[in-house]
Amino acid sequence: MLIRVENLVHTYSSGTPLERAALRGVSLEIRAGERVGILGPTGSGKSTLVQHLVGLLKPTTGRVLLDGVAAHARTTEARARRRQMGLAFQYPEAQIFEQTVFREVAFGPHNLGLGEAEIAARVRWALEVVGLAQAAMEERSPFTLSGGEMRRVALASILSLQPEVLILDEPTAGLDPQGRRELLARIQDWQGSLTLIIVSHNLDELARVVERAVVLKEGEVVSDGPARRILSDGPLLRAAGLDVPQPVALLQTLREAGWPVRTDRLLPEEAAAEIAQAHRLLEGGA
Amino acid sequence: MIDLARPFIQIRGLSHIYPLMDGGQAVALQGVDLTVERGEFVALVGPNGSGKSTLAQHINGLLLPTAGQVWVDGLLTSDPRHLWKVRQRVGMVFQNPENQLVASTVEEDVAFGPENQALPPKEIRRRVDEALEIVGLQDYRIQPPQMLSGGQKQLVAIAGALATRPACILFDEPTSMLDPPGRRRVLETIRRLNAEESLTVILITQSMDEAVATERVLVMHEGRIVMDGPPEEIFEEGKRLWALGLDLPPAAEIAHRLREQGIKLPTGLLTVETLARALC
Repeated sequence: MLIRVENLVHTYSSGTPLERAALRGVSLEIRAGERVGILGPTGSGKSTLVQHLVGLLKPTTGRVLLDGVAAHARTTEARARRRQMGLAFQYPEAQIFEQTVFREVAFGPHNLGLGEAEIAARVRWALEVVGLAQAAMEERSPFTLSGGEMRRVALASILSLQPEVLILDEPTAGLDPQGRRELLARIQDWQGSLTLIIVSHNLDELARVVERAVVLKEGEVVSDGPARRILSDGPLLRAAGLDVPQPVALLQTLREAGWPVRTDRLLPEEAAAEIAQAHRLLEGGA
Repeated sequence: MIDLARPFIQIRGLSHIYPLMDGGQAVALQGVDLTVERGEFVALVGPNGSGKSTLAQHINGLLLPTAGQVWVDGLLTSDPRHLWKVRQRVGMVFQNPENQLVASTVEEDVAFGPENQALPPKEIRRRVDEALEIVGLQDYRIQPPQMLSGGQKQLVAIAGALATRPACILFDEPTSMLDPPGRRRVLETIRRLNAEESLTVILITQSMDEAVATERVLVMHEGRIVMDGPPEEIFEEGKRLWALGLDLPPAAEIAHRLREQGIKLPTGLLTVETLARALC
């Protein structure tokens, strides 16, 4: 799926005293198989943008095209494309309604008209991805689960649709650290041409998954490029109200103190390797 | 009447079992013992489903023990005569601020608690003004809460809890829905409440960075408290935490990896600042 956003403007409550421009001319192209992070502070337009990608909103002006078809159009073609877009909202547990975890996760595949065996296979797979593979879990009522477990079930019910484009809005908020690691690792291992779009404030976490980062501020794209460059650009991130990933912050402090280190090492293991190497150089020179 | 010699929270042999729809049971807490003194700043961490929220809800009497006892300021939560007094002493702030706001202006929202305590209007006014000043939202008094940012909404929820003058507030993942500036503001406010207003704080969090900023970290696993100590001790045990499904703060993880590479570093390096200082 090729996603093209052309000069997209979205104004809420247009023509009233509460009028608010959420997007002011956003242009963006996302190709099949890309892994893109969308970042920006609250109110920067991230959630409005992803709602446009799945055709939930109609542009005030501009266009959103999914393989050339307007995302919000009421045509069979547009509906078929929207079906390939899976969006997990920020509070996914609010979407839960079935009596058992199995039925909750099977709901989407069931609506796609898949056979029982295929449905069961997808449910197992999706529950495994979110770390809820225990057999007893399938027959539990989702409403007896803890907050973090409910969130995992809600995510599994989007994953079980196996969309071409998966859009996750703050997917790991409320998950425990291991749950986060596993979810992100499994999504990375996902075979095929999945396009992944993650909206998040957590740059330490995005650094593990995305190869491209788009920074929104006040409804405009202020930066779009390789994740390694953008997530290590302190001034840019701070201006957008975001925190620099901790490994980058550490490397920048060391560099200012004269250490021969690169600062675009986003992960703790990369930063540790970089620092250890510089340490050996400094020791050797001393 | 506050007995200062007595621990503020005392929990003995607390178990909690939820009945399941199929007739089975889910054991959420098993044999928890815990003492928290007045004015402590405690982080409660653990994987999803480990019993953190269940434990917190026992401390303000939202849940009652299946077995064991919980005393708050010497009041037994399972004694119906004490329940109201317990809830007055222990406030609660939840993850999603949207679900906690009930009124059409910020000040009405903050007044909700004291109004329910049937206080005289003057006293309500004083408490609302004071609470809004403490969280720094005095200029937003007559705004509709819906127009505020996530972080500000969470501050309104905190002011609402403060207005009932509790001795302790339980925060259940209060920052997980907030952006970095909102998160910083809420955490600073919580720290200030603890340091300046002597509020006892129990902070449930999935962020190890937030736990680093407290005085004492309790680690829960499968309904039990399995580790209890200052952050400098808890986060030295990387392998044990990983096995429990938890994590180290990124700076502590880097320090751990550097030590493995033979670089000599002192213990207790949990932040970028302390690690950078130790290296330079």
